[in-house]
Amino acid sequence: MAILEIKNAELSIDNKKILKGLSLNVNEGETHAIMGPNGSGKSTLSYMLAGRDGYELDNGSITFDNIDLTPLSPDERSNLGLFLAFQYPVELPGVSSTNFLREIFNSRKKYLGENELSHLDFIKFLRKVAEDLSIKDEMLKRYVNFGFSGGEKKRFEILQMALLNPKISVLDETDSGLDVDALKIVSEGVNNLKDKKNAVVVITHYQRLLDYIKPDIVHIMSDGKIIKSGDADLALYIEKNGYSEILNEKS
Amino acid sequence: MKKVRNDQFFSNLEKFVNKVYPNQPQRRPYLNLKSWPSPKDEAWKFSRLGNLARKNILPFDFENQQDFNINKLIKDSISLVFVNGKFEKKLSDKLLSEIVIEEVQIEDFKEIINKFDNLSVKNHPTLNSTLSCSEKFFKIKFKNDIKFYKPIEIFNLGGTENTSIHPFIFIDLDKDTDVQIFQHYSTYAGLLAPFEIINLSENSNLEIIKIYDDKINSHNLSLTLSVIKEEANLRSFALIKGGEFTRSEMHTLLEGENSNADINGIYLSSGNQHHDLTSCVYHNVPNCKSSQIVKGVLGEESTAVFQGKVRVEKLAQKTEAKQMSRAIMLSDKAVSNSKPELEIYADDVICGHGATVGELDEDQIFYLSSRGISKQKAKVILIDAFLNEMISLSISDKFHDIIYNKTKTKINKLLTNEYE
Ligand SMILES: Nc1ncnc2c1ncn2[C@@H]1O[C@H](COP(=O)(O)OP(=O)(O)O)[C@@H](O)[C@H]1O
Ligand SMILES: [Mg+2]
Repeated sequence: MAILEIKNAELSIDNKKILKGLSLNVNEGETHAIMGPNGSGKSTLSYMLAGRDGYELDNGSITFDNIDLTPLSPDERSNLGLFLAFQYPVELPGVSSTNFLREIFNSRKKYLGENELSHLDFIKFLRKVAEDLSIKDEMLKRYVNFGFSGGEKKRFEILQMALLNPKISVLDETDSGLDVDALKIVSEGVNNLKDKKNAVVVITHYQRLLDYIKPDIVHIMSDGKIIKSGDADLALYIEKNGYSEILNEKS
Repeated sequence: MKKVRNDQFFSNLEKFVNKVYPNQPQRRPYLNLKSWPSPKDEAWKFSRLGNLARKNILPFDFENQQDFNINKLIKDSISLVFVNGKFEKKLSDKLLSEIVIEEVQIEDFKEIINKFDNLSVKNHPTLNSTLSCSEKFFKIKFKNDIKFYKPIEIFNLGGTENTSIHPFIFIDLDKDTDVQIFQHYSTYAGLLAPFEIINLSENSNLEIIKIYDDKINSHNLSLTLSVIKEEANLRSFALIKGGEFTRSEMHTLLEGENSNADINGIYLSSGNQHHDLTSCVYHNVPNCKSSQIVKGVLGEESTAVFQGKVRVEKLAQKTEAKQMSRAIMLSDKAVSNSKPELEIYADDVICGHGATVGELDEDQIFYLSSRGISKQKAKVILIDAFLNEMISLSISDKFHDIIYNKTKTKINKLLTNEYE
């Protein structure tokens, strides 16, 4: 069953067209990869999905579980089960990581009609999830993303994903800035969360992430559109030959 | 309605002093000030006293009939209660023998005042009105028989819309003492003119937390003069949230080497409130540090001012002086003014200053909302964070939650009104 359906999405920023008729269907249980040169609109797509101000569609539609997403605010989309791991996570000086995580965890529980955890139970649960991602206690005592290294920021995004247990996760270049060990840890984290009911969309430049998070479908995005889709072999082809051949083929 | 002249209060004051203290010539020099500072006066350019000048105010001159509830912030603190500017022993806690509260005369602290050779101090309406008309001048002395004291909470209560009240207190720390004081300003006074003198002897530590929460028609023109000796440390924090007009003005003189002064504050301004943090730090000797850090949140049509001045004398090498102000605007009708001033005559000094004014960060709001937090809640979290950082930096951990809770209701009010 389709979780996410994007039809002919067109979007402009400052009167410049960025998305130019992009369509994408993601079904339950699937893992998709989106690859493409810098500036092709991948992050724009992710912001559009998350409902950022200024990223409203000019044309086209997006539905999530058959619900029209366009009128919904970012928090409503998150509550429905959409998660975006940011390419550049935002620093929140003064906001304690632990408090922040408890806040988002409990508000999701509340939305789902499940019981919130007591402070103590939450801390226990958090420790366990953090440990699996090699996140030290010390990091949770700091302010959100504040002074985190690139790799720490990315792991912190996946920690949030684990706490929110979304139906669909869009990971925007989560692999950039990670060394091989961290890449493995993060990928395992994502794979552990994967089941038949949810879906993952990874945006990446590199095959090496796809060695760990195996995609069912690979899309090549260029100039605001998906220009080619295929199976995991398409990513291997890109790794070997670059984008130019496929781009040329199109024009 | 009868028009009130600009000098009305000062002629009321003179009549009052002539009647009540006919035989106290030491008060007379302070009757020389005849009118409110005008906007042409550099020190008052951003904080205009027109509304105050138009009030017909008389010094408070009757017996207190009211009862007061004293709401201490800290369970085991010692309270000192001033009602209508007068010390009320009955309402206050019993003092430990190591703390002496005694009546003093102007002569006993005049020397300290004279160290501040500066017109904005000399012509300050609070200095002049309070020295000419306050009934008694009290000094609290902390003797070094014990090093650590229980926190002191000083309450300023009482007042009516048409009266001025004039509490005076001289806080005097002996060598090696360690004292924490909360000052509560919660009056109904048309004008509250609290005048404080602080003397920190060698190696003493004072943490003073001032909570300005007067009723909505009040003008509070608080003035504090501090003198800091060798190795002594003043940590001052002002939380301004009440009154129609509140100015917290502090002049701090570092006159002993290796001393330190942190003159920090937060203002939370709503409606038509005007809040002003004015601070001058004078580095007269080498090897001292100071910081003046102020943060504020402004909503509706409120206005706020931060005036921070650092003066480093030629002699005062190796000075480190830091100054910063940050304001968050929740409304485009609110106005924030910041006036940093550095007067530096020494060459080996580190002075930093910066000022920012802005709205809440859209990227941060988006990040929080993308995690399921409503926009409104996201703003609360970000303002809390903004203030929390400041509170952690400025005051002892054990008082953190108390002060944080004091900001809470005001923040909620500010954010609710944003959507009206
Ligand atoms: N806030 C913005 N304002 C103006 N142009 C933008 C903004 N964000 C992205 N763009 C432009 O949109 C295009 C797509 O950017 P982006 O979505 O970040 O691409 P990608 O993630 O694929 O590298 C680029 O040309 C970029 O310059
Ligand atoms: Mg990108």
